[in-house]
Amino acid sequence: MPAPRPPGALVPDEQACRDTIQRLQAVREPRIVVVGNPNTGKTTLINALAGTNLKVGNWAGVTVEKRQADLQLQGRTIHLLDLPGAYSLSPYTPEELVTRTALLDEGPDVILNVLDAGNLERNLYLTLQLMDFRIPVAVALNLVDEAKEKGLTVDAAALSRALGVPVTETVASRQQGTKTLLEHSLKHATLGIGVRYPAAIEDAVADLTGRMAYLPTLPPHAWRYLALALLEGDPSVRGRLSATGHTALIDAADAHLAALETQDTDALIDIAEARYARAGDIARLAVPQVQARRTLSEKLDRLTLHPLFGIPLFLALVLLVFRLTFSVASPFVDLIGEPLQETAAGWASALLVSLPLLRDLVVGAIIPGVGTVLSFLPTLLVLYLAMSFLEDSGYMARAAFLMDRLMRSLGLDGRAFIPLILGFGCNVPAVSATRTLERRSDRVLVSMIIPFMSCSARLPVYVIFAAALFPRSGSWIVWSMYLLGMLMAFLFAWLLRRTALPAEGGGVLLELPPYRFPAWAVLWKHAWRRTKSFARRARTTVLATVAVVWLLLALPAVSGGKFAQVDPKDSVFGSVAQAVSPLFAPLGFGNWQATGALVPGFIAKEVVVGTLGQIYLGEQAAAPAPLGLIEGTKQALGATWDALKTSVAAIPTVLALPQLGADTGADQKSPLAAALARAFTPASGLAYLVFVLLYTPCIVTVGAIAQEHGRRVAWITVAYQLAAAWIMAFLVYQLARALGL
Amino acid sequence: MDDVPLATLHPGQSGHVVSLDREHPLRRRLLELGFVRGARVTVVRCAPMGDPTELRIGGSALALRRADLHGITVRQ
Repeated sequence: MPAPRPPGALVPDEQACRDTIQRLQAVREPRIVVVGNPNTGKTTLINALAGTNLKVGNWAGVTVEKRQADLQLQGRTIHLLDLPGAYSLSPYTPEELVTRTALLDEGPDVILNVLDAGNLERNLYLTLQLMDFRIPVAVALNLVDEAKEKGLTVDAAALSRALGVPVTETVASRQQGTKTLLEHSLKHATLGIGVRYPAAIEDAVADLTGRMAYLPTLPPHAWRYLALALLEGDPSVRGRLSATGHTALIDAADAHLAALETQDTDALIDIAEARYARAGDIARLAVPQVQARRTLSEKLDRLTLHPLFGIPLFLALVLLVFRLTFSVASPFVDLIGEPLQETAAGWASALLVSLPLLRDLVVGAIIPGVGTVLSFLPTLLVLYLAMSFLEDSGYMARAAFLMDRLMRSLGLDGRAFIPLILGFGCNVPAVSATRTLERRSDRVLVSMIIPFMSCSARLPVYVIFAAALFPRSGSWIVWSMYLLGMLMAFLFAWLLRRTALPAEGGGVLLELPPYRFPAWAVLWKHAWRRTKSFARRARTTVLATVAVVWLLLALPAVSGGKFAQVDPKDSVFGSVAQAVSPLFAPLGFGNWQATGALVPGFIAKEVVVGTLGQIYLGEQAAAPAPLGLIEGTKQALGATWDALKTSVAAIPTVLALPQLGADTGADQKSPLAAALARAFTPASGLAYLVFVLLYTPCIVTVGAIAQEHGRRVAWITVAYQLAAAWIMAFLVYQLARALGL
Repeated sequence: MDDVPLATLHPGQSGHVVSLDREHPLRRRLLELGFVRGARVTVVRCAPMGDPTELRIGGSALALRRADLHGITVRQ
């Protein structure tokens, strides 16, 4: 092993520094990009800087969040762009690729680098890499309060001298230092003092950058970075350059690498070591004294990662989140489901009394469609809030650490457990939670098995069937459905891994960030935005599907039938259901009623119960009593107030022990249960439940999968789940019959 | 002063990084996170199911699987 080389700093080019500062002053609308390691409080800082100007979207083509804002400062418009968290500029995740690409292609005017004051050395690695770009840098020294807690006091002035760029102390969560930070970024940001790499490497860099000067398509601000990345063997930079026809450059880099190797030099290691040596020097200058204290995080971890209690604690927390979600959200869900929809239907009937067809469409399709979407929102908002809390507090990383061993057997890592667990609440946020996974094949795989996790919307179907057919063992039936869903998820994960989506390999690395108390404003914004985007996405698909089903139910299939006045059996819907029902005969429910009820279940699974009611009890949608405007408003407001009260009252009961199993006794006398008991045998009922559990994700989940991974993945998921549902229901029916049920 | 794979260290023990396997799947990333020659790394704990292992290096707490610890050589 060669002797360690002396660490080095580049001699700063004073003239170039003055030039950049001058040039920056002249830019009319400076573009600032914010770059930093994950968990440096970057999101909070962006929120503090941008406030309500913050706009959040997705990067084109990838589901990586894009946060940007336009700000006014001293008469200038600043374009602020937050880049995803990155440990380095050699991309490893989709997020890091976005960050690197933005630096290469957008050529921002200033890089605002956010550092975690409590983990300076590692954070400086990225800073020094950023200085390989010829873009002015300004540093935000964030989480200063947390570092002090650890016993670390950072000397910002010394740090600034050592780096050659302005350093501003900030506590983003309390909005401290943010104003100064912006001013410094615009007035004093400069190129800084980068790393001087070992001579052999600097020679190679000089040669490569010399060649780049003849290549007009490569931006000068990136030359040094690109040369170093080539020498580090960064596969994504090589791919990028060869795709743009710069193979000569790659060949030149390879020649240098071969020459270095004959001198027993590994460029990748030497470059990393040179950066770390300099980062260490700077950190020692800036943090002269370290009095290591046992931090709160370490104490908490002793409990949360305890060999015996760690996993039970995690499961208890998950349970708590669900209890919270459903007890806080369900009064609102009920409110949207019944009183609000009835009121809206009442108004619509009154307003459209002279247009019966339009009235039927509005009352029969549009209001229930909108209602379906709306009724998801309270649940999602609470679930997203809880999820953001667990993520931002640092606990999610611990959960991944705890569950990693289990997920390894599926070729996944611990992080994949969280979306699956969320699926029990609602599949929709679960699908968007797959974003936390690094590899695309993992994201797709997990999204494809999430719909097997029995979401809360399926419970009403189980409950009514359990009441009708299994009065004594109802809760067992319900629990076995959950279990079957999980088993199917694991089975298909295993199958998919061995066929279409093989594991991409590569090691697994998790960071366990310090625990933090999340900022409420950030949590709220996060959850609210996700909920809103869900509503936007769901509105069109769900409305369209509901309208189509309504139309099919309204269209008569027999001669002499009148539009919108046919018996469901004689509608197009009924005849299609009749036509396909023989397909379900081997599953024990080959009648058109049972088959037909499955179709609207595609919109939302709980609708299956309503449709069964409509069909079996011949119940037409009860004509809502037209309410006056004032009366209706009063009723709606009263119901909203009641929901709010119930919701608040539910918070303490969250801590009570959950009821095991569903209370099936109450429904026993219901007319629907009685009708179902006549129409199904225990065997066919069980098969029906299995089919409902597995047959397809609801339309909203399909939409979420399509948004994350494209339509193809979404339709494949629907298709294979239909097949899986048919096969499993068939097996269950035949087995149950063989057992004499 | 033995050079041993990081996987052989028990919780509470620490060592200084000597080298990373050339074929280590996380080689680049580990270097970037501070697994450079001479860096001190401490094994903190194993997860309840035995894997992965929590490490402390610099100011970071990282978790790696046992298989990935084998490619890291440390000197105790």
